[in-house]
Amino acid sequence: MTGMRLWWSTCPKCLKAFVVAWELRHAKYKLICPFCGHRYPPDQSAAIDERHAD
Amino acid sequence: MPVAKRTRRRAAGARAPKSLGTYLDRIRNDPAEFRTVSRTVNPLNFDVTGLLGVLNQRREYPTVQFNHPLDMRGRPSKFPIVTNLWGTRERCAEAIGLARSEAGVRLGSLLCERIDRKEKPVVIPGRSAPVQQNVLTGKKADMWMFPAVRHFEMDLGAVLTMGMIAKPPGQDFYNITFVKAFPETPQRAGLTVHTLHMSRILREWEARKQRCRVAYVLGHHPAFWLGTLNNTPWGDNEYATCGGFLKEPVRLAPSVTWGKEFLVPADAEIVMECEIIPGERTVVNPFGDISTQYQAQQLGPVMEVKAITYRDGALFQDIFSGHREHMLLGSIPREGTIYNHLRNKLGNVVAVHMPYSGCARFTAYISIKKVEEGQAKNTGLQALAHVPNLLSVVVVDENIDVFNEEQVMWAVNFQVDPARDISLISNMRPPSDPRALGSTRVIIDATRPTHIAFPTKLNVPQAAMDRVKLAEWLDPVKGGAR
Repeated sequence: MTGMRLWWSTCPKCLKAFVVAWELRHAKYKLICPFCGHRYPPDQSAAIDERHAD
Repeated sequence: MPVAKRTRRRAAGARAPKSLGTYLDRIRNDPAEFRTVSRTVNPLNFDVTGLLGVLNQRREYPTVQFNHPLDMRGRPSKFPIVTNLWGTRERCAEAIGLARSEAGVRLGSLLCERIDRKEKPVVIPGRSAPVQQNVLTGKKADMWMFPAVRHFEMDLGAVLTMGMIAKPPGQDFYNITFVKAFPETPQRAGLTVHTLHMSRILREWEARKQRCRVAYVLGHHPAFWLGTLNNTPWGDNEYATCGGFLKEPVRLAPSVTWGKEFLVPADAEIVMECEIIPGERTVVNPFGDISTQYQAQQLGPVMEVKAITYRDGALFQDIFSGHREHMLLGSIPREGTIYNHLRNKLGNVVAVHMPYSGCARFTAYISIKKVEEGQAKNTGLQALAHVPNLLSVVVVDENIDVFNEEQVMWAVNFQVDPARDISLISNMRPPSDPRALGSTRVIIDATRPTHIAFPTKLNVPQAAMDRVKLAEWLDPVKGGAR
């Protein structure tokens, strides 16, 4: 298994993807897109890549 | 709130206490070591890291001072940016008073010797402290007046990359650690904290549901910072350790916010007096960090600014993360830490190097005087146990130069039986950001086997090479060129 579990979120506004720690996958915090500054709940990602070695 | 203006006087002829400015005065006339940029630059639009990136591609690593940066609102900032301070091993050596010739194998050990030469700090009144020549409180204490740098394409935004000072509850020592701060508003920033001691301090304050007082320092003499990077035990007063590196006592002043209960470095460029709010978290990252990967977006503690103080003509210091200065800043003290530990425990270590290919943090090349099988693995285990975040160790014989990666990889390619000589140590503490090895560590014994008949490396006799005088032996080239 790798270290910290990660996932990729694609911003629903600018459609660029960025890397996120697993602790934010189901937390009550909005993600912040580093490319356009849009804030959105994780489940509103345009795409989610949560493949994991386990 | 008013902006207080303080004055200072120094006796005629007295030597100025060491500061970032006194250090830059030593190198500013050497263009190989120091360059300036006087055009206006926008640090939020990658102007700063763009220039550093070009220099890096050219394998040039001068300290760079940007004289006219924009602040976080896009307005001209009064604070020039100084970055890439530790770009070469030679500058790191000179910063602590060593000769450039001492920047090689022994630099790490020489650095570690300073840990035991502590200098008790001295306390001076705030009115005499350069860093308190200008004092901003309330709404005037505004982080967005700084020319904070956005370093990489996927970074969340501008990041302050310097160091934070804190004390644990009920104890009277100061820990100093590099901590990244992401300014969210003029008075509030999210933090990422990666060291064991600073994390423990924050946990202890949080368990008491009390605010943790911190000083975030944006600029000091490079030796001050080198003093903060060593593997010292819990309880070490790092102001005293930094004094050993500076070769003079660190001057401290009562903070503007908490007075004598919390002392701040008087000769710093800029100090932000802040409090970390217990239980509060905010979103931080991505940030391109030491592994040259982006750290994932995550939650971090929240710091609230109470006051900002700065000296007249203050410089704003930044680190070019994931590049030479960032790597050297950590690798040299760790090389010394590993060397001293192995020397004390096993006695057969020759040299230690943490190569750039391992981001100068996660991989160590160690040469030993091997006399029997098993010593290489013992060496690797000792190193892995002693240094957090060290993920892989390659152990070679003393005839391999650990600073020459080609030689090290030759030993790996031709002296390693993978089934026997590669050891995986599983289920150790994972690093604080993701890398492929996760919680597993690797030891590669690349020493020449002594338990079986085995070839040796070819060798031109040294005496033969010593006889050669190239200028006399090589025939002249037509036209006179040699």
